[in-house]
Amino acid sequence: MNMVHILGGAQTDFERNWTKEGKNLVAILKEVVHDGFEESDFSFEELGSLSKKDAIGCFIGNFIAEKYINQGHIGSFLTEVDDSFYGVPSARYEAACASGSVALDAAIMSIESGRYDVAIVVGIELMKSVNSRVCGDILGCAADYEKEVTKDSVQPPFPQLFGKLADAILEKYPALESKRFMDSLAMISVKNYANAKRNPMAQTRKWYMDFEQASCRGSSTNPLVGGRLAVSDCSQITDGAALVVLCSDRFAKKRCLPVDIVVKGWGHRTAPLLFDSKISDNAGSQYVLPWTRQTILDAYRRSGLSLYDIDVFETHDCFTSSEYAAISAFGITPPGKEYEAIESGVVAFGGSKPINPSGGLIGCGHPVGATGVRMFLDLFKQVSGVAGGYQVDNAKNAMMLNIGGSATSNYAFIVGRNMF
Amino acid sequence: MTINTVTVVGASGNMGAYVSGIFASFGRATVFMVSRSKNAKMVDRAVSSVRCDSIRPRLIPMDYSELAECVSKSDLVFESVAEDFDTKASVNSIVAANLNPKTIMVTGSSGLSLTKLASLLPSDARQRYFGMHMFSPPYSMPLCEVVRTSYVSECLISDTCRYLKSKLFRSVVIVKDSPAFLANRIGFQFINRALQYAEKYKDRGGVDYVDAILGTFTGRAMTPCRTADFVGLDVHKPIVDNLFQNTNDDFHESFVLPEYVDALIEKGLLGRKTGGGLFKQDNLANGTKRSFVYDIEQESFREMRNYTFDFAVSMKKHLHEGDYGLAFAALLESDSEEARICMEFLKGYVDYSVFVAKEVCERIEDVDDAMAQGFNWCPPLALSNMLFGTNYNTKYDYRSFFKVGE
Repeated sequence: MNMVHILGGAQTDFERNWTKEGKNLVAILKEVVHDGFEESDFSFEELGSLSKKDAIGCFIGNFIAEKYINQGHIGSFLTEVDDSFYGVPSARYEAACASGSVALDAAIMSIESGRYDVAIVVGIELMKSVNSRVCGDILGCAADYEKEVTKDSVQPPFPQLFGKLADAILEKYPALESKRFMDSLAMISVKNYANAKRNPMAQTRKWYMDFEQASCRGSSTNPLVGGRLAVSDCSQITDGAALVVLCSDRFAKKRCLPVDIVVKGWGHRTAPLLFDSKISDNAGSQYVLPWTRQTILDAYRRSGLSLYDIDVFETHDCFTSSEYAAISAFGITPPGKEYEAIESGVVAFGGSKPINPSGGLIGCGHPVGATGVRMFLDLFKQVSGVAGGYQVDNAKNAMMLNIGGSATSNYAFIVGRNMF
Repeated sequence: MTINTVTVVGASGNMGAYVSGIFASFGRATVFMVSRSKNAKMVDRAVSSVRCDSIRPRLIPMDYSELAECVSKSDLVFESVAEDFDTKASVNSIVAANLNPKTIMVTGSSGLSLTKLASLLPSDARQRYFGMHMFSPPYSMPLCEVVRTSYVSECLISDTCRYLKSKLFRSVVIVKDSPAFLANRIGFQFINRALQYAEKYKDRGGVDYVDAILGTFTGRAMTPCRTADFVGLDVHKPIVDNLFQNTNDDFHESFVLPEYVDALIEKGLLGRKTGGGLFKQDNLANGTKRSFVYDIEQESFREMRNYTFDFAVSMKKHLHEGDYGLAFAALLESDSEEARICMEFLKGYVDYSVFVAKEVCERIEDVDDAMAQGFNWCPPLALSNMLFGTNYNTKYDYRSFFKVGE
């Protein structure tokens, strides 16, 4: 099996609102392809010559452009970016907020199997085309819309589901005091906003958040959005795209890469779709999200690495409750003790197991189809030492967890320096 | 530098309230908000400007009778009163008389002579008095111009800059004490030139004609005449008058305020805040809105015209598709009068920015921070590299500044 190498990539500035700029899907694709190729030292000429040999494929992660911008068949749009893409196989991959990861998964398989020498992976979502109420309703399509989306509810569907996850965590661990838990969630929010200040591409880099604000849930500037969760617990919708270029051993050897970054492991598990089924299903497990935990274990097993080897994490903090559950899923604490890692600063930027140095979905922003690829790109930046202001010192291996729906589609990847 | 307590004098004004919000949030400082009356609305304004209720306990409304006491308890005093020399001088005298030995005294002035204001202060206060000019609204416009005078030590300026950058997350440029400092001098020169061209081409439509040539597709969030209307003609006038009176260079004439603008100010038509100025909007009974523009020739409002210049149509089409190179080629290759005017403005913007940067700031690159972070305009050096093939050092990506607009 081929090893999968990462040449580089880029993301768009998640602060930008492409609808306000009056720019379309092709425009954002052109920018991310241009920047991603430049950062990967990869050219349209190379793309063309690989295409002649049928040795390149493109994999586009996108959740639901049909609803946001009335556009399907997103995979074919690279041909509008440059005519070098004419003839290059390209398709769209979808798994709700894990759409970027399913595109990565397919791309990685295409290199591992020897089908292609190079795979271009793009994640993209334009969400600012609609107002926040409509946007929330569209995101409801990642749940079972018929059974789980309450029409006419004041609160949008996903904040409600992740509010229920917060309830489920408290029910699962009766020794966990509600105040301690809610304070931990507030500290996650504050950490991710603070981390975003170091990331020049983060949506919230100019915004302010402090512990008091994150704790005064229900105030005019921090209204409740889903059960016990408030705006400060919630990631931000935005527009964005990210791109990475993957390649085979053969292609990497020709490049003489100064630092060789490779994919070391992956996990992919699908949990029961309905939130209530998901929670009933955890009865025999210590974990509130056992399939998320299993995804992480699969990635550790495949990589031959353990928690000890991982220097930095990017996780799916679509809500603070999902990052909270990820802490034990990664193995940083035993289940039910996640607050310890938060209170002690283990997961903070300077901690021993930093989570979301980029700011995560709360700080960096969450253009849903782009998120998985953005996380993967951040792992690459960390382990190759080019993360700039949010670089974690001497990071050699990094892990990400990207989830779709209410932790239904679970994806994990481990990326690190090739030591061989 | 540790700043735990701040007094903002003139906190009921927009900038006073916004700046209070910045110190209380990012700076986590207790802020005495001093104004004529202890109005709770200014606290609300500060809170909503940073979208953060948690700072409310740190915002303390005060009135002028308590100014001396507030100053004596503060690490920093930020004066944000009306942009008038005598008003500022009289506030300064009270502040200076009650200043602790280590307290810093700054002004939010947008362009008065700080050296003259400083000269009225006792010598110990004079050494701790300088400019801290933020842009509105500072939550989304992070530029802060630190304006130094010859009385202030290098050490105090560098400590303050470090505080502004690391604690308040400001984008800081150090500027010489000079009329309108850096960003406003460049920005208001561009806007005033647009107002002058509106008069020059009043037979072609004037205000909306010029704005259609210098649309958001030329690298700005708002067109220049619309910006003048938004900030208020009464605010625009003293800035350009100050620049006209106190600069004397090749660009001097660009600060002459057109007569029609003076006439609008006389009539109280100051812009958006008075419901009319260069533009006016009528809300119709059926819930729709109609936009009007001031016609200089007719001396009255008329409906906005829908200008279609080929170069602009082409630029917008290409920007929509992300083809920046084609968009700029459409501008450069057009032989229309309007494209020529547009290029004249963009080239003038770059030339004047470079000229002012050399005179006013420490590093030429500072001018890009000034215009991007203070005006949300395409930074001049990034614009020049892209449009004129220069090779200036800039950290800015020009692309996001070019918006298709209406």
